[in-house]
Amino acid sequence: MIVSRAIPAGLVLALLALLVLAPMAGLLHLSALPGYEPADLRIWESAYLRRVLYFSIWQALLSTLLSVLPAILVARAFAMQPDLPLRRLLLGLFALPLVVPGVVVVMAVVSVYGSDGWLPLGRSLYGINGILLAHVFFNLPLAVRLLLPLWKMIPQHHWQLGEQLGMNAWQRFRFIEWPMLRETLPGVLLLVFMLCLTSFAVVLTLGGGPRSTTIEVAIYQSLRFDFDPARAVMLALLQLGLCMLVAMLTLKFQRMPEVEIATSAPYRSRRTTLSYVVNLVLIMAATLYVGLPLLSLLIDALQGPVIKMATSAQLWQAFANTLFIGISAALLSVVAGWFLLQYSASLARQGRATGARLVDLAGSIVYVIPPLVIATGMFVLLSPHVDVFDWVYPIVIAINALMGLPFVVRCLGPSIRQSHARYHRLCLSLDLQGWNRFRFIDWPLLRRPLGLAIALVAVLAMGDLGVIALFGSTQTATLPLMIYQQLGAYLISQATVTALLLLLLCLAVFALLERGIGGKADVVN
Amino acid sequence: MYSVLPRLAAGLASFLFCFSLQAATPNLVVYTYDSFASDWGPGPKVKAAFEATCNCTLELVGLSDGVAMLNRLKLEGDNSRADILLGIDTNLTAEARSSGLFDAHGLSLQSSALPTPWQDDLFLPYDFGYFAFVYNKEKLASPPTSLRQLVDDSGGPTLLIQDPRTSTPGLGLMLWMKKVYGDKADQAWAQLSPRIVTVSKGWSEAYGLFLKGEADMVLSYTTSPAYHIIAEQDLRFAAARFEEGHYQQIEVAGMVRSSQQKELAHQFLAFMISEDFQKIIPTTNWMYPVVGGQAVVPTEFDQLINPAPALLLDETSVAEQRKRWVEEWLEVMSR
Repeated sequence: MIVSRAIPAGLVLALLALLVLAPMAGLLHLSALPGYEPADLRIWESAYLRRVLYFSIWQALLSTLLSVLPAILVARAFAMQPDLPLRRLLLGLFALPLVVPGVVVVMAVVSVYGSDGWLPLGRSLYGINGILLAHVFFNLPLAVRLLLPLWKMIPQHHWQLGEQLGMNAWQRFRFIEWPMLRETLPGVLLLVFMLCLTSFAVVLTLGGGPRSTTIEVAIYQSLRFDFDPARAVMLALLQLGLCMLVAMLTLKFQRMPEVEIATSAPYRSRRTTLSYVVNLVLIMAATLYVGLPLLSLLIDALQGPVIKMATSAQLWQAFANTLFIGISAALLSVVAGWFLLQYSASLARQGRATGARLVDLAGSIVYVIPPLVIATGMFVLLSPHVDVFDWVYPIVIAINALMGLPFVVRCLGPSIRQSHARYHRLCLSLDLQGWNRFRFIDWPLLRRPLGLAIALVAVLAMGDLGVIALFGSTQTATLPLMIYQQLGAYLISQATVTALLLLLLCLAVFALLERGIGGKADVVN
Repeated sequence: MYSVLPRLAAGLASFLFCFSLQAATPNLVVYTYDSFASDWGPGPKVKAAFEATCNCTLELVGLSDGVAMLNRLKLEGDNSRADILLGIDTNLTAEARSSGLFDAHGLSLQSSALPTPWQDDLFLPYDFGYFAFVYNKEKLASPPTSLRQLVDDSGGPTLLIQDPRTSTPGLGLMLWMKKVYGDKADQAWAQLSPRIVTVSKGWSEAYGLFLKGEADMVLSYTTSPAYHIIAEQDLRFAAARFEEGHYQQIEVAGMVRSSQQKELAHQFLAFMISEDFQKIIPTTNWMYPVVGGQAVVPTEFDQLINPAPALLLDETSVAEQRKRWVEEWLEVMSR
């Protein structure tokens, strides 16, 4: 069994390595050619780089902690209130911030916290405050979505036992919920850290100036006016190394829980008024925090030329492009992630935990190679042989699928591992393999996380700007690229209408995929 | 799930097939920036006007900006599909020239509106503008009247500017300061720095923040108020005229050496400096046309400030020293 899982997973890993390493090699090769900047190793000694490195780590760490720690409380509040009215809608709302292009988030954040905003912060918005506000807006809801399914995986008899022992809320958290969190939290922390580390437009615009330069900005700089590919690659490797380091640290903290055969169900007992009120306040606070910038966007957009734009052929072409890229990237990403995770789960089952973690890590860590580096490198490799214009969609889809992998690993990983631990022996004894195993064991168990993974990657790819901005032209524009183009041509009110359309599209796609694949009811295993 | 892959591949294949269908008439490919090629830019009108005379198809490929399209052309080398590159400015021409990817245009620009006669055998200008600080007249009653006043007045207006590492106007301001202050530019930046609310990645972020009321002035173009006057009938915005003069941006086009259709490309460049093309520029690209004078500029442009004298550093010194100047700027601004 393990060999048959190793082959597709090995293929995926090889493909990953190819997608990441080949473009970098292409860029390095370029720097050896005449007419290009040669590789200059002195960059490692520059005070500029040290400052950039320090600031990147500092803002990413702070953003991560401020996003994920409150997210634990909010996710827990959602988990404890399964019958909350509008719960599904709120959770749908929580999937949106991730897809809003950075520049639109900046505008939305300014609408709320700017000097003419609803909650004005004045000049103090620009600097670390603004960066944190925007990053928490992006990542808190994401972390909530990623952590929430964990509570469903807690066996019901744990809750019953806790009750019999008269555990208080803290003890329940410590002894029942924490062991579950401890497996997934490191991965979520790493993911959010990577997202904040590679954040770009937000940091540069809300950061107040070049004091707030991150590695990502330095990479971008070296692929623009300077066009220094070797430097871009060195900086990309530095970013990769940094994330590996953080990954090692978080993984040290990770413990695989003992999985046992049991039924799990939402926690439904002993609801006191106090805990109900606390949960409600937490959910409302988080909803306000996420909702206000989105609301400001909605208000701006409805004042825009909605009717006039509804007849724009370019807009609907961009709409179709966005949808096509999003869905294709999501399917590709989930298929690749599926093979990786099946392999890592079978390694974990055999007690080869380190190997399992490394496979998961390989799937996640590629995220921090900036799409600009991959895209430029691919361009260098492909353009002598093919007309890159004809390959815009496959390239954009492939890179977006790659960027979606860490989300697939996070959404699906824990469930696949659990399914392996619980049912692998049963499958062996019943000789369930291949399609039948998928149909009867995996699908009912995994369709929910699968739905979440596909939905997340789809909206993420639909919101992509980094890759499409490099390869896309006016003809192949997606909605985010169009927003960016409109903002660059004084068409700010049109841009907000386009942004609203993007958000509505994402909301619809997310709901359809998550519900269509995930199913309506909770599966009780 | 397993049946998805073949379907996806089939979908992709059919998609690519549609794209590979070629047109029968000659196809002239112009790389330009996206705001030129988009619906609201000069693109559609330029395309219609040129195709009416050339018996060809004009394909405008909108890439993100001048830097991106030059980098792309360099990467593509002789394999490029581009016949024309339209949309780099004079801060990039030295680099474009040294790439050896361009051919002489063989045209001369008679009676141009540019302050100095145009002499460049590779690149031909199609429009130009001036950088300026734009403000809202209702909010800022007495704007500074010179760059020196803006820098010296520590209680002066707050500013939004762009980063010279990532943005053309940002680079323009850096060169403007250099032109006015010379070696003392870093001191001037240090004086200005406390009033800079933020330094954005590109023009759009800074301008968007300005319209949201985040600062008194934004670095943009002298022609920006014309957009608000003509397209929105909004008279609140104006550019502050500075005594020292305004830094100039001249946008140019060039013929790609590897082009297989030099004649058609040549025809396009000649069209580009004709009145038919030039009259499209003011109200779509919001810049000044290089020829045609009063006849092609809408009357609303009369309300704009007179930016004279035009300031411009020569392309060689920009190319040679830009990197050092940016580092200097970074040093001051990171304090």
